[in-house]
Amino acid sequence: MEEQIWTEVSEKRGAVSAVLHFVGSMGLLLTASLRSMASFRWEWREIVHQMAFIGVASVPIVAITTLFSGAVLALYSASLLMRFGAGSLSGGAVGLSIAREIAPVLTAIMVAARCGSAIAAQIASMKVTEQIDAMRALAVNPISYLVVPRLVAALVMLPILCVVANFAGIFGGAFVASALGVPSFAYFKAVQLFTDSYDLTGGIIKVAVFAVIVALVGCQQGLSAQGGAAGVGHATTRAVVISMVLIYITNYFLADLLFAKT
Amino acid sequence: MRNAQDYAVRVDNLVYRVDSKTILDSLNLEIRRGEVLSIMGGSGSGKTTLLKCIVGLLKPTSGAIWIGEQNMAVLSEAQRAPLRRTLGIVFQYAALFDYLTVEQNVIFGLERQRDIKRSEMRKIARERLDWVGLSDVENLYPSQLSGGMRKRVGLARALATDPQTVLFDEPTSGLDPITTHQIDSLITRLNRELNLTAVVVSHDVGSVLRVSDRIAMLAQGRFVETGSVTEILHSSNEQVRAFLEAARSTSVESAP
Ligand SMILES: Nc1ncnc2c1ncn2[C@@H]1O[C@H](COP(=O)(O)OP(=O)(O)O)[C@@H](O)[C@H]1O
Ligand SMILES: [Mg+2]
Repeated sequence: MEEQIWTEVSEKRGAVSAVLHFVGSMGLLLTASLRSMASFRWEWREIVHQMAFIGVASVPIVAITTLFSGAVLALYSASLLMRFGAGSLSGGAVGLSIAREIAPVLTAIMVAARCGSAIAAQIASMKVTEQIDAMRALAVNPISYLVVPRLVAALVMLPILCVVANFAGIFGGAFVASALGVPSFAYFKAVQLFTDSYDLTGGIIKVAVFAVIVALVGCQQGLSAQGGAAGVGHATTRAVVISMVLIYITNYFLADLLFAKT
Repeated sequence: MRNAQDYAVRVDNLVYRVDSKTILDSLNLEIRRGEVLSIMGGSGSGKTTLLKCIVGLLKPTSGAIWIGEQNMAVLSEAQRAPLRRTLGIVFQYAALFDYLTVEQNVIFGLERQRDIKRSEMRKIARERLDWVGLSDVENLYPSQLSGGMRKRVGLARALATDPQTVLFDEPTSGLDPITTHQIDSLITRLNRELNLTAVVVSHDVGSVLRVSDRIAMLAQGRFVETGSVTEILHSSNEQVRAFLEAARSTSVESAP
């Protein structure tokens, strides 16, 4: 079945068959990756390398974007709630939105933009320059060497980045709230009161799903790239667009599943 | 009647189709052990596709590719691995891993195959690079090499796992005449000294005539003629004659 991942296909295809093909090849890639992981012949060097790239190097942009998102949430919620004399409750509004929505979604979006694109570009350029063929000819499976390390690294690092994002967002909110006159202890008290560990774990479950989407879409687009430098460009753009759209769609269903009843 | 042992590769009624376009059409070919066989043909005639089918990188629509007793066409990706180690392929643009050094490129297949000591692998890398006439390049990256050097590193990488057959995709395309001659004599030397079977895919007639024992002419996905160098030179086939004639008229000797 893995055979089909390597089968060349022509580009000319209708919209419906393109979607079906995409879903099919994502499924094949995921199955092949799981099978490769189960064989326990892991490429540790590659995994560590990808963890540094996807995780460590993404900390600054994830922290900055969520910090300012927390800040803007506090800006609106604090000034609104202060009219009703409840400014300190803004900590709850910020905490809840950050933990459930902003931290996981923004982390995934930032990693998709930064790393999903890079994954697609690297693998696509290897594909169009026959490096993927060369790898297979040397009896090294590109699934274990290229796909699994990226998938594992994303699965490990995105939850950690999400925790970082939670801290950054809540602190960003705290700065603005205190500038607007909400006492810091009251803000953090409200964070504590309105959010519990389930909000945090729920967010982390979401981001783990997004991690699979970002890594797998990047790899899938890279491996199916065709036609020189232009093909690399297409694969990169498509990887970012597809993973962002999929992140928002799955986010809705995950929110419904995880948080709708609480 | 020859037995299977005489052939390095036997292609049996090979068809390769994408959508409804037939790229390779019922090809039959026997590559004898120890020979240099060239597959000659114009751009788009299906040469690269045929090479990739032989190595199992592409799955043919129908037909068989016999490597010894095994049919590459029906094996799964995992089953192909041991068979691929008996085959080496040198890609048209070398296809070196550009984020790895020359040495890491050469030992790439070796590292994941057997439990060999690091020092032993370095020794193998140095030896293979020496075979292809390169030294002191171990720590360079592919982007720091010339086209001819890259192809040689590609060859050294293909030789690392001690293959019995090496397949070359356009080994001389894009190279200057002197480098072309060096690559040609390298192919000849490896064939004589290591008794390697070589399959050379090329549209460079001069180079094909220099290195080959036998030539198969591919046109629009079909073999139109197969024979020794002399037989091909005296072929009465229209397409072979046209190809050789065109090559002759564009070569230096015929310049006014
Ligand atoms: N994946 C593919 N989809 C459609 N056509 C292809 C594909 N791969 C190769 N071809 C076509 O097959 C023909 C042979 O290609 P190729 O084997 O690369 O030729 P050569 O190496 O002799 O120049 C060309 O006409 C090419 O356009
Ligand atoms: Mg070609």
